[in-house]
Amino acid sequence: MSVALAQRPAVGGDPSLRPVISFHGVGKTYASGTVALRDIDLAIYQRDFVFLVGASGAGKSTLVRLLIRDEQASSGRIFVDGQEVTRMKRRKLPKLRRKFGIVFQDYKLLPTLTVGQNVAFALQVTHPGQRHIREKVEETLWIVGLEDKIEKFPDELSGGEQQRVAIARALVIRPRIFLADEPTGNLDPDTSWGIVQLLLQINHRGTTVLMATHNREVVDLVRRRVIAIDGGRVIRDEQEGQYLREGEATI
Amino acid sequence: MRRFFAALWFAIASSLQNFRRNLGVSVAGVCTMGLILVLVGTTVLATHLLTNVLHDQESRASKLKIYIQDGASLAGIVNFQHQLQSDSRVLAVSFENKDQAYQEAQSKGTDIATAVNALGSNPLPASLNVDVRQLRYLVQLDAVARTDPLVDPTQPTDYNADVTPKIQTAITGIEIVGGVLSGMLLVISLVIIMNTIRTAVYARRTEIEIMKLVGATDWFVRWPFILEGVLGGVFAAVLSSAILALAYKVAVGATHGDLFAIPFDGPFTAVLIAALFAGGAVVGAIGSYLGVRRFLAA
Repeated sequence: MSVALAQRPAVGGDPSLRPVISFHGVGKTYASGTVALRDIDLAIYQRDFVFLVGASGAGKSTLVRLLIRDEQASSGRIFVDGQEVTRMKRRKLPKLRRKFGIVFQDYKLLPTLTVGQNVAFALQVTHPGQRHIREKVEETLWIVGLEDKIEKFPDELSGGEQQRVAIARALVIRPRIFLADEPTGNLDPDTSWGIVQLLLQINHRGTTVLMATHNREVVDLVRRRVIAIDGGRVIRDEQEGQYLREGEATI
Repeated sequence: MRRFFAALWFAIASSLQNFRRNLGVSVAGVCTMGLILVLVGTTVLATHLLTNVLHDQESRASKLKIYIQDGASLAGIVNFQHQLQSDSRVLAVSFENKDQAYQEAQSKGTDIATAVNALGSNPLPASLNVDVRQLRYLVQLDAVARTDPLVDPTQPTDYNADVTPKIQTAITGIEIVGGVLSGMLLVISLVIIMNTIRTAVYARRTEIEIMKLVGATDWFVRWPFILEGVLGGVFAAVLSSAILALAYKVAVGATHGDLFAIPFDGPFTAVLIAALFAGGAVVGAIGSYLGVRRFLAA
């Protein structure tokens, strides 16, 4: 199958720069024998905003998990910021993961902590002893528009607000790359659009964003780079792409 | 250094917070561990006390009276006494003459005077009283005594072939049963405690997942859980020590003056309580370490 790869430079990118993320012939087969990814080649550059699209089970989440070494690739090589993730020693993984801000469809907030404590948790874990945690938390909550909810608990917030807290927690550690795995999966269209605008704003500040999504409206409206995966393979990689190409009905 | 103390403080604070927040699971874990420690403590204490009682019986039973024939020469008796004293199985040997045997019989309330009057002389033989190192040597020394010409052939010794093996069997039996029971309880307790802690850790898998995702090191994730395990173990030890000490005190008081009175062993009780604290803390820490391990594997 021929794959139309996105042409460099990306938005605001520089073709002479090394990619922030690159996959070279990456495959992943689970112990059960299920093949999740086959022969993936792709490169993502600083300041890119990339949509990863595909049907459920296409391999989007596996790709995200391989990036942070939550799963180990079965073949091929993955590089993040010039470092090979696939051969990285286990003790170096925490440092790798601190390059990423990660959000998921189910938010993964701690229900017993307030909004402020949930956001501060990331700083306490990654930078114990850091000064001015409160100020940093307040500043980040202001970016996501939740500065007045700092003392609330997650179950007192709407789904969209909870996802904003998750984004704030990912953002507070100042990541180089922002990974969002179906961040709008549980949200209504208006709220989803608000979350995507927030991610665009984060990207505008210089952070690379990779968003795995099902949300056709959002992808078609934003018109950024689209990498489509089907059956574990990259079937399309386009700048200013759409969720589906004309006549494409498999996704 | 600042980072180290901050991480330590985070671990202590979050272990205390988590213990309080998950109070239901924490209390269930503490109660389970506490009850198992009570069972282990009771078994160890009971085995120790029973063994002590039987050892006391053993020391009393570890005496052999070798009766000397009337008319035996003093030189021969002294020679035999030296021979026995140089035996490695013997602790001490003392000579008891016929008059001393008479007085001892009288002191035990035996009506010996009637027999002396009837016979016209003291019928009780002189003897060599042997303290044997171990109960099992009694039968061997009894055999040695029977071959000596000085010894009264009609009644060579006071060795009772029935009693000593029974005491020996009882001691061995109690030690084996106590050991097996303690071992089984230890294995059962480890399995139960590990599963209890694993349940507690499972309830907090999201927290562990988040810590991993934001880039916490494995030890940073582990420490709060390990401290929480130690805390749970110490609380369980407090609970079990209190129950055990109270029950022991009541049992000692209730049986005081009885034939089978339970003796109070203060130093051993103190050592046992210290062991329960150390055991609770160590088992709690190991259980938490193993419980977290599977969630860290990636």
